[in-house]
Amino acid sequence: MTAPATPAPVLDVWNLTTSFRIEGTWYPAVRGISFALAPNETLALVGESGCGKSMTALSILGLVPTANGRVEADGIMFEGRDLARLSDEEMREVRGNGISMIFQEPMTSLNPVLTIGFQVTEALIYHQNLSRAEAEREALALLDLVKIPSAKSRFREYPHQFSGGMRQRVMIAMALACRPKVILADEPTTALDVTIQAQILALLNELKAETGMSMIFITHNLGVVAALADRVAVMYAGDIVEIASVGELFARPTHPYTEALLRSIPRSDRDTAELHTIPGAVPPIHRMPKGCRFAARCPLAQDICRAMDPPLEPLDPESPHAVRCWVRGGHDLAALTEDANV
Amino acid sequence: MTDQTEALPRGVSRHPFVDQLAKAFRTNKLTWVGAVIFVLIVLVAIAAPLLSPHDPLQQNILHRLKGPGPEFWLGTDAYGRDILSRLLYGARVSLIIGVAAIGSAMVIGSAIGVVAGYYGGKVDLVIMQAMDVLLAFPALILGLIVVAMLGPSMENLIIAISLTAIPPFARIARAPTIVVKERDYIEACRALGYGDLRIMTLHVLPNVLSEILVMGSLWLATAIRVEASLSFIGLGVKPPTASWGGMIREGFENILDNIWLSIFPSLAILLVVFSLNLLGDGLRDAIDPRTRSDA
Repeated sequence: MTAPATPAPVLDVWNLTTSFRIEGTWYPAVRGISFALAPNETLALVGESGCGKSMTALSILGLVPTANGRVEADGIMFEGRDLARLSDEEMREVRGNGISMIFQEPMTSLNPVLTIGFQVTEALIYHQNLSRAEAEREALALLDLVKIPSAKSRFREYPHQFSGGMRQRVMIAMALACRPKVILADEPTTALDVTIQAQILALLNELKAETGMSMIFITHNLGVVAALADRVAVMYAGDIVEIASVGELFARPTHPYTEALLRSIPRSDRDTAELHTIPGAVPPIHRMPKGCRFAARCPLAQDICRAMDPPLEPLDPESPHAVRCWVRGGHDLAALTEDANV
Repeated sequence: MTDQTEALPRGVSRHPFVDQLAKAFRTNKLTWVGAVIFVLIVLVAIAAPLLSPHDPLQQNILHRLKGPGPEFWLGTDAYGRDILSRLLYGARVSLIIGVAAIGSAMVIGSAIGVVAGYYGGKVDLVIMQAMDVLLAFPALILGLIVVAMLGPSMENLIIAISLTAIPPFARIARAPTIVVKERDYIEACRALGYGDLRIMTLHVLPNVLSEILVMGSLWLATAIRVEASLSFIGLGVKPPTASWGGMIREGFENILDNIWLSIFPSLAILLVVFSLNLLGDGLRDAIDPRTRSDA
């Protein structure tokens, strides 16, 4: 979905499908999703574990293991090139340089036997052909930028001498090293405690404003989404089921799944006797039902939902708010049921 | 997450392997014993020309087959050569051959092991099968074949011993590589666009290095033993040069006249192997994965 009246997107994903082979059969983990990322925009991908949000990020970077994985797309356009059709060599140029990634686990995402300084410096030498001295100066500036206190004296320290939050800052510094146009942040705050989380989010927001980069922020935490995102894409079982600006989504959640997700946020400002949960579980990848994949857990499910897969369509032609739902998507159910029966 | 920064003073920077080394020496006093003896032997070998009371090759028919005494502390052999001087010079031969052979086996073997472990699949299968074939020969037999084919000389001994030591190093390097390549930081390297060669050399290798070095200290002992064995059966360095294995054999020919001829070089070999094993065992315990922090 491209929002109208936005400048040319930095990253434009058309019909991305990522499949995995299980016992000889290919099953899609991401099912033909499309989205565009505007310059300096933060798009949040939200969904339960296993809904395909991390796979989307890995697919964009071409990091899906080739042994049992397969990425197909009509196009992953970045800087005028289709990433889906680049050679391995060309793709390595893009990774860490044009698009970089921040991982979920800061405790294990740094090499334990190499110094922090070395690891930040390496990316700069590799992609920007800087001399070691230049790269070290630049790396120090980066560590200052991500607010690591007394970066200079800690430059030669090893990861085990850093706390989780500090390591995540180092990871962010590495991701930012080559001034990428797009950052893919895969649950960068999930492993951190709440106060550190807030600091890291504030830092990311600040850096985004400073550098003008765009960000795809993968999370299952809707509170984080509200704080950070410009637009939100809600994913379920490999599909984008709803995409809208963050204000619109929170004000007018339309897909029953989005609605249920929002209801499930525990709120401290209201008395509730029990926590809302969504009954049932995501169907396993090798046993996806026909029709809408949320139908089995949906309170609004009709016959047509179990028979036909709904399309992702804007609520009205002018709106960037799109929903994949027969019931809520403004479809003429009577006519559709008629069609399905004929 | 717990804040581990408090444990160490700011700015103090220690490579994790340094911590492991420190632990090896702190927790196991025998590691010290091994290290001290081995360092002494190395120093003695280096200083052999200064320490030797006599020329190791100087023959003197008047002084042949003497027992330990004031002029020749450890006695003389059938040609009247000073045993002590020959032992000191022999230490050089043993150490040079051992270090050169194990050094090259370490480099080649770990390169092979890291490549096999990193790529996995068919590459791994083919490489490790080849290694298993080499491993099927006992070190001595393989060394014997190679030296018999190439002819006895110091270089050929090094090649032969190194060849027997490559498979164990490949195995030792491969196992941790398989673990390390699945770690998040290797995935992060890929996300930064690094190529396989860079990931293997700069990111995987340093993580398996401690295991390789420990293995190296243990295999150095084996190499010295194999060198002595090959010299003993006449496939070692050429005769006038002193080597411990050769000295034992020469002593055998006159063992009824002078038992010390074989005893002293045997003790020398024993001492080196013993010290290296103490050192290696201590280091191995320190890097044991069960006691190692996961950081």
